Amino acid sequence: MIQYAGILLILIGIYGLLTETNLIKIIVSLNVFELGLNVFIISVGFVREGVAPILTSVNNHSGLVFVDPLPQALVLTAIVIGLGTTALGLAFARRIYMKHGTLNIEEIGGGIND
Amino acid sequence: MINPVLLIAIPLLLAFVSILYKGYRNNLLVFGALVNAGLVLTLGKGEYLIGGFKPPFGINLVLDDYAFLGLLVINGLFLLITLMSLDKIGENATVLLVALAGLNGLLLTGDLFNLFVFLEITAITAYILSASSRQYQHSFNYLVLGTLGSGLYLFGLILLYAVFGSLNMADLSLKMATADTSQLVIPSLLIFIGLGVEVKILPFNGWVRGVYGNSDSLVGPLFSAVYAGAMLLVFGRIFAQVIPLGAYLKTLLLLLGALTLIAGELAALSKTRIREILLYSSIGQSGLIVTLFLSGLVFPAVMQLFNNILSKAVLFTVAGQMADTTGTDDAEALQGAFARHKLAGVAFTIAGLSLIGMPLFYGFVSKINLLFGVFSLDNYWLPGVILLGTVIEGTYLIRLLVKLWMPGEEGLVSHESHATKAPLEIQRARVMGIVVLSAVLLVGGLMPGMIQNNLSESGRLLDETTPVYLFDLKGGQ
Repeated sequence: MIQYAGILLILIGIYGLLTETNLIKIIVSLNVFELGLNVFIISVGFVREGVAPILTSVNNHSGLVFVDPLPQALVLTAIVIGLGTTALGLAFARRIYMKHGTLNIEEIGGGIND
Repeated sequence: MINPVLLIAIPLLLAFVSILYKGYRNNLLVFGALVNAGLVLTLGKGEYLIGGFKPPFGINLVLDDYAFLGLLVINGLFLLITLMSLDKIGENATVLLVALAGLNGLLLTGDLFNLFVFLEITAITAYILSASSRQYQHSFNYLVLGTLGSGLYLFGLILLYAVFGSLNMADLSLKMATADTSQLVIPSLLIFIGLGVEVKILPFNGWVRGVYGNSDSLVGPLFSAVYAGAMLLVFGRIFAQVIPLGAYLKTLLLLLGALTLIAGELAALSKTRIREILLYSSIGQSGLIVTLFLSGLVFPAVMQLFNNILSKAVLFTVAGQMADTTGTDDAEALQGAFARHKLAGVAFTIAGLSLIGMPLFYGFVSKINLLFGVFSLDNYWLPGVILLGTVIEGTYLIRLLVKLWMPGEEGLVSHESHATKAPLEIQRARVMGIVVLSAVLLVGGLMPGMIQNNLSESGRLLDETTPVYLFDLKGGQ
């Protein structure tokens, strides 16, 4: 079921990207989109009643049902990359505010030299 | 034997060092680009494990003919463009070193998720470089589209992982070859959209106008040649060699590629600013090369790709230089500009004519090659579309060349007095660089046999229908 939550979040994020006009809200939408994606990726590795793939004194034989650890590793990387793009996006938003005095894309104008 | 991971590791290390020693940033950049260009020549083909885990479990680097050709041209161009525009680099030396690492990683990796990481590294450096025009809203636009695109690419690859249980390209292509194509529709569409943002396919290329249209003589050639070349090579790797497409999906994507070609060329026809003409021509060429890759014509696609990026490096350098020194790049305001800059004008003309595919230049060799390939396909509309695109491209490029050489009104006798008074300056380093690039295009056109002989082995390998890269699945046995 959890993958439906992920897809819902992805769709909310894309809806936000298409409808918002405020630069900060666009970055928030992008983050919601990435969050949904991460939830979806985690759900791919989910196994019902699975345990963490670590051999311990309690879980000490390989016949146990393990959760797939690879999607979690992928999500860790994706989160770090998302952080980088978010920071860069906020830096651009600040520069745009300094130059145009507004965060609304409709007031900035989309011309090639605006 | 030298491990190709050095091509990624050395620029990254130098990027860190360049933060510590700010005064030597540009020296470190030139050193890194030189070392990389030299290292490429010493590489041996093969498959290299990273971290000791055997594929399909671990990440591997794959150096086959396809990757080698790409590395050679991309690293060479990167070095040349850096040397040409050293005075423009300013704060960006560290970013350029990271970009070099990311671009080499893109071409070398044999793992889909690793490709995503390099895609993001490269894209982030591209966002930062695009901001050097101080038009931040365009950089922001690029960032949002690029992040959304690579997110969708990640979505597609995780669906592939969920279905086939692997991220290794060679392993996946084996597993997908026998799979039901209906399982592949959504993942391949998502990956197509994700890469489509970077390779400028029609509905996803809204960022190109703002970013390319404001580029200077460093960022313009870097984006239009180095970045575009690497991204298109990645596209070819994924769609011509890894993911098999079903018949209907293939027709749909081919239509998108052809539409990009015609729309890009038509948009270029209606523009008067030189950089805008060139950026729409870039979009059109991307559409053409994507179409060739999707049709399975890998060798003609790679030839045309090299023609496009070598020409665009020259054209964007001159156009960026015009805009930097005169403040405008309107063809009307710059008419007759080459009368005072003959050498740069000759290089610009060679690049333009090669891009159209005129005889005597390398573009003719690649265009005749791709036309032979396209006519041998069982497809009746594609050759017509490509020829139409070439005609439109010839029209606006020759019109532009005439304008820049011959000042005056259309239809009247040209006279020197109409020539532009704009204070156009082209530095000696840039002139030397573009002369070298146009000489490559000229030699490639005059001696097609040389290229044919040297590349025929790679070409034969590239055109085989089976995955061309070396792979050897050793894990789990």
